[in-house]
Amino acid sequence: MTLNAPLPDADVVIVGCGPSGMMAAVTLAEAGRSVIVLDMQPCPGGQIFRNLEANLCDASPAGQSLLAALGPAYRAGADLIRRFRAFSGACSGIDYRPQTTVWEVRPDGTVGWLQGMNAGYVRGRQVLLAHGAMERPLPFPGWTLPGVMTAGAVQTLLKAGRLKPSGRVVLAGTGPLLLLLANQLHQLGVKPALMGRTDRFSDAVRAARHLRLGGVLPLVKGLGWLGRLKLAGVETVTGLETLAAHGKDGVESVSFTVGGKRRTLPCDLLIVHDGIVPAIDIPNAAGLRLQWDGPNASWRPQTTVDGLGSSSLPPELYAGPCVLRVTGDARKIGGAEAAMAHGVVAAQAILAALDHGMGPSRAALRAVGKALSVRPFLDAAFPPGLARALPGDETIVCRCEELTAGDLRAKIRSGFRNMDALRGETRCGMGPCQGRSCMVTAARLLEDETSAAGCPPTCRGRPPIRPIPLGAVARLSGLDPRATIRLTLEDKPENAPESGPESGPEHGAEDMVDAPAH
Amino acid sequence: MFSDLGPIRDPVTLFVDGQAMSASAGDSVAVCLLRAGMSYNRLTPVSGAPRLPYCMIGHCFECLVEIDGIGNRQACLTVVREGMRVRRQAGAPPALEGSVP
Repeated sequence: MTLNAPLPDADVVIVGCGPSGMMAAVTLAEAGRSVIVLDMQPCPGGQIFRNLEANLCDASPAGQSLLAALGPAYRAGADLIRRFRAFSGACSGIDYRPQTTVWEVRPDGTVGWLQGMNAGYVRGRQVLLAHGAMERPLPFPGWTLPGVMTAGAVQTLLKAGRLKPSGRVVLAGTGPLLLLLANQLHQLGVKPALMGRTDRFSDAVRAARHLRLGGVLPLVKGLGWLGRLKLAGVETVTGLETLAAHGKDGVESVSFTVGGKRRTLPCDLLIVHDGIVPAIDIPNAAGLRLQWDGPNASWRPQTTVDGLGSSSLPPELYAGPCVLRVTGDARKIGGAEAAMAHGVVAAQAILAALDHGMGPSRAALRAVGKALSVRPFLDAAFPPGLARALPGDETIVCRCEELTAGDLRAKIRSGFRNMDALRGETRCGMGPCQGRSCMVTAARLLEDETSAAGCPPTCRGRPPIRPIPLGAVARLSGLDPRATIRLTLEDKPENAPESGPESGPEHGAEDMVDAPAH
Repeated sequence: MFSDLGPIRDPVTLFVDGQAMSASAGDSVAVCLLRAGMSYNRLTPVSGAPRLPYCMIGHCFECLVEIDGIGNRQACLTVVREGMRVRRQAGAPPALEGSVP
């Protein structure tokens, strides 16, 4: 019996349905390629255009004021979502699978998925990772208390939950998203008690030399936000340091230092943000080579300009060509416009790899460069703040396993001097979040304690990178018959039935090999 | 901590720790818990500390709850369904408890 490699399920599998994933999917479908799009959310849009379709349809006064507060940058996604939907009907090129999480990606184009209680593998001749960004982990004392949330979380609650903060709201951190959110809250009638920025005037001065023509509009927009907050009477401080949240079963107050003076404020909801970074959970587990982005204090996948990654796996684990590309904020933080521009570049590169077309056009590459030209200015104006200094010994680093920086420092000093050893010893990164919240801090602590320099090491990512119910594992579909051996209880000698139609010498080994499921 | 921007639309009824609750169709379970003003969705298995959703985009896994008998489901990624049964998690579950509801 010969076992063939499973056929690809589509020309391209795309992970993520935000600006870059949608743009790439539409570009590929327009060229006649079959595409499977896997996305965690129930509707297309990613985090930036989250729930946009439903919000656009809502003619109620509440819906209209929400749309007005979220502004034109939010509504700008409507056209792309319409184009995406036009291709994702029956037999229209894009097989769109919402509410689907990805728990494994291999360099050969195999992708493990989970939807409800069903799980399996799909294969693309090419795979595009468009899974986006996450907010920078920012450990500080009290950051695990109920009532501490990220700016992105609060914005998600506005867009997809129609909930707005109430009570005493404090914003702390840095970055365009924090300023934008403060303005959106103000428009919805929420007056924050404080806008505590970690950035300083000196950062803005340093940033000015990075200002290009493309940065003028964002700058004007940002100054407008600051002006409106001032007019609204929201107290704003800059240079905030050493933030802490206090309370027993939830946040009751926050304290921080500004200009050398310690202040404490009563607080019901503390909204924190320290910029966004590429989500590396999938690239790291796929064995893609990562690089350290110093100014952004974050990892990013090492890719060519069209997003092609390279496998860091040793040849005994994987020797074939890598068909994984990374696009959008998952590749390099640039916002929606840059993500859409790079989605086109990645799609054109994929078409070329599928023997179709000449690769990325100069116009598409120029569009990426233009959209990214504002980043050096923004990076300099809003440097990492809350996460800049390493946390003190009492601060929790690993939220899942409740390990403090002191716990990790002690273990590093006692000899656990690489990430996997540290993880094995302490369970840091072994909880349900699989290191998404703690790995960068653990790596920086390790670097600090061992005086290492360069690209901080990550833990080796192993599938499943998201939890899968056992029942779903038991029924996995799309398995590779070459790599699958099915053993049942009956195969154990002590349990083998005495006789029967299914036993006997004709019961050959090939019967134990699982047929590819469909 | 949060208040509604508008009335609940296309209401769906679900049960949280046995208590009936209304949510808008399309809401995530996490939205529903926060709207209800719950003080926690889980107590951690390590120290029993209370936690509420933190990132709302599926990264932090703080919003874990039991949904229709299956533990450790991400409330921020799960859309409410008529008759859904949600239970807040109280620390580490006993290993040998009959877990089928």
